Amino acid sequence: MAGEGEKAIAAATGADGSAVPAAADVAAASPRDDYERLRELLFGDERRELAAARERIAELERAQRDLPRRLPDAAVAALHENRDNPRVADALAAPVAQALGAAVHDNRQSIIDALFPIIGPMIRRAIAEALRGLVDNLNGAIESSFTPRGLKWRVEAWRAGVPYAQVVLRHRLAYGIDHVFLVERDSGLVLRHVAAPGAAPLDADAIAGMLTALGDFVGDSVGGDRGALDSAQVGDSLVWVEHGPQANLACFVHGVPPPQLRGLLEQRLEDVHARILALPADAPLQTIGDDERVRELLDPVQMLREAGADGSTAAAPAQRKSFKPVLAVALLALIALGWFVVERWRWNARVAALRDTLAAQPGFVLGDIESRPWRSLVVHGLLDPDAPSPQALIEQADLGKANRRLGATGFVSADDRVVLRRAQRLLQAPAGVTLDARGGVLHIGGEAPQAWIDAAALRAPLIAGVARVESTVQVQIDPKRVARAALEHAIAELAARNVDFVREDEPVAGSDAAVEAIAADVRRAQAFAREAGVALQLRAAGSSDESGGGDINARVRALRARWLALALAARGIADVGEDDANANPDPTQRSARIHASIGGAR
Amino acid sequence: MSAGPFKVCMLGDFGVGKTSLVSRFVRSTFSDKYLTTVGVKVDSKEVARAGRDPVKLVLWDIAGRNALDSVGANYLRGASALLLVADGTREASLASALDLLMQARGLLPNALAVLAMNKFDLLDRWEVAPPTLTQLRRTLAVFETSAATGAGVEDAFAAIVAGLAP
Repeated sequence: MAGEGEKAIAAATGADGSAVPAAADVAAASPRDDYERLRELLFGDERRELAAARERIAELERAQRDLPRRLPDAAVAALHENRDNPRVADALAAPVAQALGAAVHDNRQSIIDALFPIIGPMIRRAIAEALRGLVDNLNGAIESSFTPRGLKWRVEAWRAGVPYAQVVLRHRLAYGIDHVFLVERDSGLVLRHVAAPGAAPLDADAIAGMLTALGDFVGDSVGGDRGALDSAQVGDSLVWVEHGPQANLACFVHGVPPPQLRGLLEQRLEDVHARILALPADAPLQTIGDDERVRELLDPVQMLREAGADGSTAAAPAQRKSFKPVLAVALLALIALGWFVVERWRWNARVAALRDTLAAQPGFVLGDIESRPWRSLVVHGLLDPDAPSPQALIEQADLGKANRRLGATGFVSADDRVVLRRAQRLLQAPAGVTLDARGGVLHIGGEAPQAWIDAAALRAPLIAGVARVESTVQVQIDPKRVARAALEHAIAELAARNVDFVREDEPVAGSDAAVEAIAADVRRAQAFAREAGVALQLRAAGSSDESGGGDINARVRALRARWLALALAARGIADVGEDDANANPDPTQRSARIHASIGGAR
Repeated sequence: MSAGPFKVCMLGDFGVGKTSLVSRFVRSTFSDKYLTTVGVKVDSKEVARAGRDPVKLVLWDIAGRNALDSVGANYLRGASALLLVADGTREASLASALDLLMQARGLLPNALAVLAMNKFDLLDRWEVAPPTLTQLRRTLAVFETSAATGAGVEDAFAAIVAGLAP
């Protein structure tokens, strides 16, 4: 447009040259120069402004072209130099958020791949902080438990010098890792397989493939994005699968693994993915299995050690050091158990012996024995009142300080031994009588007074357990009574004998024979008296006729009594007294005789 | 040290003999019941090569079907080769195998494909005409196989190995 204007201006000036001052000078110069001068005259200021504006635009375009190259440095410089300037953050907030949103929307997998190695630790850390307080409380609760198992673990923790909670975990979490698979997510091909020492060999490729197929099958069955196969369990064998964007980590575990192991697997898979991101761009994913760090990450032994289930941790030597006390305790326990068994056996043997003894006890029917070893013994049974009490047997049994008691109920026994005791009690048999009971027949033998024999004949058939009485008892003769009767007879005979006198104390001829006869009777009477157990009193008594005075006759009677006493004394019979001389036993005779009388029992 | 492993998926209609071919080729770790439950059975086989490292193949024997569903498509992910199996005595099975190949190509455009025309031992009952096979061989490696006699089986897998690890 400007060019056409200028041409129009030129045409106008060429048509009317008189209108231009200094026309000769203008004619001498070239038309183009004239044109330029004219432009300068007319639009000098505007042209300079236009040129400046063009230069500015060009500069801006250059800056625009260089912007992608300069932007990172510019942004870094801006952030560095204007750290405290909120405008920088404000200015960046919106585009960054927008860019992130667009990236999440359009390129979600890249964002996932980039964030995967770090998002897990972030979440775990947040959860760990939240759970720390809970775990502390749980630990306190566990420590305050005083169950036998808790006490046992407490002792173990004290011996091993480790926290109680660690021992609890170790016992609760007995498990092992058999196989670890790192499997390419899409193809199911094995990137790395590690088997624990001693684990059964298996076709790792087939296992990994099937595991992937099962995961796909389960994921597709439950429906799209709702999840994938995280774990599978058969008995105490468990498969845990951790899913990552590039690879999955499958862990074959036996026993009851702790939740920490799951967290450890997540962490390991994140670390593996960090290594995958560090692979050269042209390196196939399968080379990750050759990475030394990945090999370390997937080592089952190291996993166990890190999860706290490996027996080769630092606590193990301490446990081995404490093995002797365990042995000692076990030995003591064994000894205690042995002592207990032996003592129990001895107690049972003694109770059995007592049972046999009581069973053989007449008049006692053993029912039951309540036995509480070393503490008490109660014997139940039926007891005849006439039977010997088994209490003594129970007391005598070698049962230590155990309390013993007899719980007996009365009954009547037909045992011959008890029937005999009952007969003895009821008949009160005197000495010389023999009693025997056999088969319900009571045998009575020996000698007994007639009265007892008569009473026994009435009572014996009524005794419980006695069906029949056979008595051969003889009437018993009392030698004392016999002797006494003989004594009385001898005294009567002695009373009939006398010694006659001629006068005074002059005996008649042949008086010696009479004295000898009296002496013989006295000796016989004395023998009977000893036999009868009685005292015999002998008194000599004189008799006189009525002639003469009374005093004289009394003197004569005294003389004659003394003469006889002396005559008997001369024959060895002493202690013969003299009757009162004033009495005259037989006034018809001039004689002397012995009066014998029976005294009290000796 | 072996090359691979390479994932090989076996596709084909019902009853064409895929499982029998695998059984002829490998000693299975898993029971065939997985085919009817999960729909796939995975085995591995290390194929020896003269003077070179053996190649490990992981064979996904996918249950017989004439079209790929979502589960079957999932099973194909990451496969390096497809072994299509058809029954020579049933021409329809060949059409199914080719249909499956077309569907699989959408998921695995670069996967090696080999066609095993199975039941070669029943050649007298074949419905597939030789000219058809000749036509197919222009675009696809085709092997006549017999799971019953073992004929051609090793050759088919050897062709896969050669294609994957030349």
